[in-house]
Amino acid sequence: MAAHLRHYAPFAALALVLAAFPLVGSPNLVNIGVYALIYAIAAIGLSLLMGLAGQVSLGQAAFFAVGAYTHAILLTKYQVPGLLSALVGVLAAMLVAFAVGLPLLRLRGHFLALATLGLGIIVSVVARELTITGGTSGIFGIPKPEFGGRVYDSPREFFWLLVPFVVVGLLLARNLVRSRTGRALSAVNDSEVAAECLGVDTFALRLRVFVLSAGYAGVAGVFYAYWLAVVSPEAAGFELSVQFLLMVVLGGLGTVWGAITGAVAVQALDEGMRALIPRLVPGATGEVQLIGFGVVLVLLVILLPGGLAQLWAMVTGRLRGRRTSVPSSGEIPTAASESAAVEAPAPTSASLQDLLDPSAVPERGSVVLAVRDLTKRYGGVTAVDGVSLDVHAGEILALIGPNGAGKTTCFNMISGVLAPTAGTVEVRGQRVEGRRPHVVAALGATRTFQNLQVFRSSSVLGNVKVARHLRSRSGIVRGMLGLAGREERDVERAARAAVAALGLAEEADRPVADLPFGRQRQVEVARALALSPALLLLDEPMAGLSGAERQELATLLHRTRDAGVAVVLVEHDVDAVMALADRVAVLDDGKLIALGRPEEVRTDPAVVAAYLGTDEEADELVRRAAEHAAEEVH
Amino acid sequence: MSDLAQLVFSGLAQGAVYGLVALGFVAIFSVREIVNLAQGEFAALAGLSAISAVAAGVPLLLAVTLVVPLVVAVAVLIERTCIAPVKRMTPLVSIILTLGVSTALKALMLLVWGPAARGLPQFPGRDVVLAGVSIRSQELWILGTAAVVGAAVVWFYEHTLHGKALRACAEQPVAARLVGISPRTATMVAFAIAGFTGAVAGVVGSPIYFSSWEIGLAWGLKGFVAATLGGLVSLRVAMLGGLGLGVLENLVAGYVDTGFRDAVAFLVLVLVLVVRPQGLLPKAAGVRV
Repeated sequence: MAAHLRHYAPFAALALVLAAFPLVGSPNLVNIGVYALIYAIAAIGLSLLMGLAGQVSLGQAAFFAVGAYTHAILLTKYQVPGLLSALVGVLAAMLVAFAVGLPLLRLRGHFLALATLGLGIIVSVVARELTITGGTSGIFGIPKPEFGGRVYDSPREFFWLLVPFVVVGLLLARNLVRSRTGRALSAVNDSEVAAECLGVDTFALRLRVFVLSAGYAGVAGVFYAYWLAVVSPEAAGFELSVQFLLMVVLGGLGTVWGAITGAVAVQALDEGMRALIPRLVPGATGEVQLIGFGVVLVLLVILLPGGLAQLWAMVTGRLRGRRTSVPSSGEIPTAASESAAVEAPAPTSASLQDLLDPSAVPERGSVVLAVRDLTKRYGGVTAVDGVSLDVHAGEILALIGPNGAGKTTCFNMISGVLAPTAGTVEVRGQRVEGRRPHVVAALGATRTFQNLQVFRSSSVLGNVKVARHLRSRSGIVRGMLGLAGREERDVERAARAAVAALGLAEEADRPVADLPFGRQRQVEVARALALSPALLLLDEPMAGLSGAERQELATLLHRTRDAGVAVVLVEHDVDAVMALADRVAVLDDGKLIALGRPEEVRTDPAVVAAYLGTDEEADELVRRAAEHAAEEVH
Repeated sequence: MSDLAQLVFSGLAQGAVYGLVALGFVAIFSVREIVNLAQGEFAALAGLSAISAVAAGVPLLLAVTLVVPLVVAVAVLIERTCIAPVKRMTPLVSIILTLGVSTALKALMLLVWGPAARGLPQFPGRDVVLAGVSIRSQELWILGTAAVVGAAVVWFYEHTLHGKALRACAEQPVAARLVGISPRTATMVAFAIAGFTGAVAGVVGSPIYFSSWEIGLAWGLKGFVAATLGGLVSLRVAMLGGLGLGVLENLVAGYVDTGFRDAVAFLVLVLVLVVRPQGLLPKAAGVRV
């Protein structure tokens, strides 16, 4: 109950402050406030896109204008009821976002930014050219909204009409950040490849957030049309898109609350510049406030990347006498920093056995992974050359070989990170070569990484929770409405079990970035286990671990195998591998030169010649080099 | 027929301006993976400054040659003051940052030169009519300058040790440092080159296409689209892409509707990104994981 209070209190406070504002502010001030609230709604959407999906839109005004125009046209030309035309306006904005996002969100961030910038230009061009949009003069004579015998035609009335939309819009956005979707996208911002290998479909989630963000812009556009009573091509203008972006950055990208504070601050800046600049520069006309926008944007990125939210954290931190970590220039926080732990449940005694869901594990001895003629060429270099092997449920297969033998490249092709040049990969009977990692993960195959890929902005537990993505269902709507409580508790329980299995229970709530290197590796193993995998690919899991920790990990892997999971590991420590693995595969120069039980491989002449060295001395050299490499990474 | 030839020819001249702007995008992106949204502003700034210089009595060609190094200096200054201090440059950060720079530059130009668009006087030369196609001497100036500058930039990046080393910075920062090029210097040089091609575009284009505080937005977007055709890394394809885009725009304006000219760039961008996100190069430039 107390938690619920804490959860909703800030929103209630916001609602009260906003509701009281028109009573104390002058009509002129309330009029400025109306614009601040309208723009704040669009900024909340953009804040989700930037903070959560890690994408930038330079065309938020385009969606704003689509909403405004659609609403205005339906209202004035077709006499559609206000509520319906508003709804259609919002849907139109979302539809345009879907059409634009579908081709563009697969690509790197630059393209979406520039394409949305282009979209803004297109929307103004189309609005100017078509007759139905009223050409350059636009559409005017839009009546003020009217509900329940009340006309919202004064600044005060209209402000009150906006308040519930802003507060609820903000609450929904905040819920989304803390939901399963928010967790997955924040993981993507830290390490896209790791998130995808845990089953997160980055593209699908980003597309949904992009469409949602356009929906917020559409709502803002509808109110804009109502309030201004005119919609002209300027509504899609680049200046307005810059203004939205500035609101988000100034308020603070790390939090959706920033959209509100940012909107207020930017409106104040806007009014201030419009009053100040003509006094400083006589005769200045036009969009003179832009100078303030540009300068503030640059200064923010360099000096205060966390925006007003960062300033607030610094001030309150100092008041409490605590030092807060200050992001250095350019380190823009993501929405993850806001996601707090759900009410902490009682510690559970769930064990590894609970985690390794028997229904997810295939029949012992059946083929889980079948690789045939797997080949990867880079130009003239063949990194992996025709590798074929099977891995069965309930066995540990070690992949060894000198540096550059192609071990990690094999892992990358099996897990979907790289597309093979030739050959096939079957996971549990399904062909997966060339598919995205989340497809492979959905079949129950996941991995760890040689160069660590932990989600740095999250806690140990937060990292592991991401692995339950495929074992939970709630989507954007349930997330926004905060209706996934039970599912979240299941996720929490499973994640705690995985953390405990690796002996990390005491560190569960610490930021993962604070842990030493070896512990972070264990977090990755815990994370992979939390997926309840059928096939577990571990890339050098022993590196950086102490002797005792290695022993514990070996025991854990044996238990995992005994539960029926197929485990494949790449490892440099040959002695450890020989003790741990049921079978050993040796790669040399991209080719599989031996495959068999450890004692067979150890005496195989080809292996001895290629890898283990022809005499004691060479053997020692190899071992030293491996240790050295491990230390260097450390 | 001569209509078509006319549209194509004047499209080529317009496209050469886009191509020059596009070279600036590639010059920076291939070194530091930053899309510099202020690229179009370099052109606007050069055009407007030259107009003021001419109005102050400086001879046209002298004004033009003075303005170019000035804009290069501005570009370097921007790099030193706004780009260099940022330690972790993600795509998100670079977009916000260069958008801020672009917005500030735009507003500054609005304050200094006001909202009206104006043009430089034509460069010396006589207009001719050839096989029914009227050719303005300024268009020849544009095409000639674009060819010379384009060739020089390509030569620098592809055939000189310094140029190759610059590009190596994007691929292998550590290796580049080992052979004595610091990524800091590399970014500064890249901005200087981008400022140079942008400024040249601004001055040669000004007599026909005019300069104004807000022209940088459209030129920048079109230059970016042209650069995208070359996957943001190929200088040659970027220049050719600019030419092609100019022609296509002119054909749309001539045969469809002048109003839709500005929509062409966006449609080309989306089409290219859907069909060949890595650009139109025959061999894909690998995206690193």
